[in-house]
Amino acid sequence: MVVVRLVNVTKIFKTGVVGVKDINLTVNHKEFMALLGPSGSGKSTTLYLIAGIYKPSSGKIFFDDRDVTNLPPKDRNIGLVFQNWALYPHMRVYDNIAFPLRIKKLPENEIRKKVLETAKMLRIDKFLNRYPWQLSGGQQQRVAIARALVKEPDVLLLDEPLSNLDAQLRISVRAELKRLQKRLGITTIYVTHDQAEALAMADRIAVINNGRIIQIGTPEQVYSKPATIFVGGFLGNPPMNFVEAEITEEKQGLYMLLSGQKLTVPKHYEPLVRKAGLRKVVVGFRPEDTAVIPECRETGECIKGRVYAVEPMGREYIVVVDLGGDLVKAIVPRSLVLIEDQEVCVCPSLEKLVLFDPKTEKSLETLYAEKT
Amino acid sequence: MMSAGLRDIELRSRRTELLLVATVLIFSIPLILGYGLLILSSFSKEMVTNLNPHDFIPTLRNWILFFEGRTAVFGGIRVNIWHIVLNTLIVALGVSFLVTLVGSMTGYAVSRLKFSGRKRFMALLMLLHAFPGSVMVVGIYFLYLMFLPSYQLVRFYSFFFVIVARASLEIPMATWLMKGFFDMIPWEVEWAALVDGASRFKVWRKVILPMVKPGVAAVMLFGFLAGWMDIIYVRTFLVDQTLATWIESNINAEYSYLPLVAAAGTFYLLPTIIFFLLAQRLIFTISATGVKG
Ligand SMILES: Nc1ncnc2c1ncn2[C@@H]1O[C@H](COP(=O)(O)OP(=O)(O)OP(=O)(O)O)[C@@H](O)[C@H]1O
Ligand SMILES: [Mg+2]
Repeated sequence: MVVVRLVNVTKIFKTGVVGVKDINLTVNHKEFMALLGPSGSGKSTTLYLIAGIYKPSSGKIFFDDRDVTNLPPKDRNIGLVFQNWALYPHMRVYDNIAFPLRIKKLPENEIRKKVLETAKMLRIDKFLNRYPWQLSGGQQQRVAIARALVKEPDVLLLDEPLSNLDAQLRISVRAELKRLQKRLGITTIYVTHDQAEALAMADRIAVINNGRIIQIGTPEQVYSKPATIFVGGFLGNPPMNFVEAEITEEKQGLYMLLSGQKLTVPKHYEPLVRKAGLRKVVVGFRPEDTAVIPECRETGECIKGRVYAVEPMGREYIVVVDLGGDLVKAIVPRSLVLIEDQEVCVCPSLEKLVLFDPKTEKSLETLYAEKT
Repeated sequence: MMSAGLRDIELRSRRTELLLVATVLIFSIPLILGYGLLILSSFSKEMVTNLNPHDFIPTLRNWILFFEGRTAVFGGIRVNIWHIVLNTLIVALGVSFLVTLVGSMTGYAVSRLKFSGRKRFMALLMLLHAFPGSVMVVGIYFLYLMFLPSYQLVRFYSFFFVIVARASLEIPMATWLMKGFFDMIPWEVEWAALVDGASRFKVWRKVILPMVKPGVAAVMLFGFLAGWMDIIYVRTFLVDQTLATWIESNINAEYSYLPLVAAAGTFYLLPTIIFFLLAQRLIFTISATGVKG
């Protein structure tokens, strides 16, 4: 029953490096929150702050209504799986998992019961007599998770636990971990730089960059309504396309000029564009929300371009289209036959495209929300 | 127990390996010969150092005389050899204890705490180690005179003087060695223990100490041997004799009987040999760090 709350948390290291700045984050009870960001963005720092390994330079951390800002790690009842697992090399797997319980001075038979139970759950009960270095990466990672879970923590913190596994194992462990979290119902914060992992596992995602949280939302929200160009470009594979466009006003309404061609400003964006008084915008659209057709009509919904390359991906093809200098990607069915340098028409779905302010790189919705 | 053996990996070809072993053997011939002849002489009536096989007349008399504390075959002074061994042990164990205690604690501090002047401190330690110990005897003597009135320079205190002086010579190297071992422990392992609920002291005792065990063992051994082998400081500060000074005084004596000295010398070598065999197992144990590459 723990809600983790970070209020204006800032960590500046002694070297002057800013680890994280003004973090505000609430993780609800039983929630699976992914902390997603590129390398060096402050993900581990955030986790260590919650664990109490680092003390914040300013700001407060709450577990429910309890202020834990100055509580040492041992009094926080946290399970932490480190980025490098940090198993105790001189202890067998059994003793590694038993360590937190032995510190609590539980009776040995109770320890035994709990260790076996946890080990069975993570399917490492066969390795209990081995040393960590006698295990594969995937097995070591399970040991680290078992050690974090065995003490029945209030909060589970996972720092890129799957980053050292091969692609296939990662995908299977990913599903396993998600089920486990739901079954145990532990408030979980999961750090990753892999957007697919975050989208696949989390209830909500917090995107972090340069030590600041940029957007918090459900995978659906973060994916389809990115708050900034960075978020749109970080999530999705291939990521969102971005093209600069000029705004022009005509009788029928607002248009965006992309390399001289007209694209209608979606109706719901018109008031925002007018309010912001923008001359230029950045149009963002996802490759899967983009149709490519061989013939163009003059409708204000499509842009002419030239096929730059075709990448067969198995299930579908990715077409790279040159829009007067801007390369954009679109996912098309295999049935569509396209050849290089062929003239095609790119039609982004008008309901799904997102407009950004080129100066602040924020989406117009975000910009508007901030202004009011 | 923790040796992630390199045996499974083919590092070099058979031929290079043979060549290496041969080279090592050639260079160790003088050493092996010297020690071999010493040991052989201790079981012989005559010294066999002339490489003359007729000199070797097997006997155990040297050893019997040695344990009786005799310094010559006929006459000579009788000493209590066990008392001398005890003195040597006190010095050696004392140095070992002090070096291990101070070395491991300073090593931890230098490795883990980022205090200002840390780099300069490390360089200073190196410099201290570079000075030959014998150069400092006079200085240390005057230092002692300054801080402790001279009438206390007797018996019991003299052990204290020897041990502190000799240990302080070994501590710089021990600190460096221990720093290396502490450096190998990732911060995350320490933090993991903290998160698991351990107090600072428990982290030290249950996680850090076991991980640097080979280092502690090495420092203990080197400290012991340094105390065991020391002669200059013992002669300067100790009222009693240790094996080193006792053997030395007997080599120069008019009545000295060399095969007996050879027996004493062989006995004196024993800990070195034993520890060397032990140390090989301890020090060359590769401890995997339990952290992914
Ligand atoms: N102990 C420290 N002292 C000084 N700077 C640090 C320290 N730890 C982290 N930093 C800096 O803080 C920033 C954030 O680091 P952090 O480890 O949180 O990144 P991360 O998001 O976890 O990256 P990665 O995905 O590579 O693990 C980085 O610029 C890093 O160099
Ligand atoms: Mg990290």
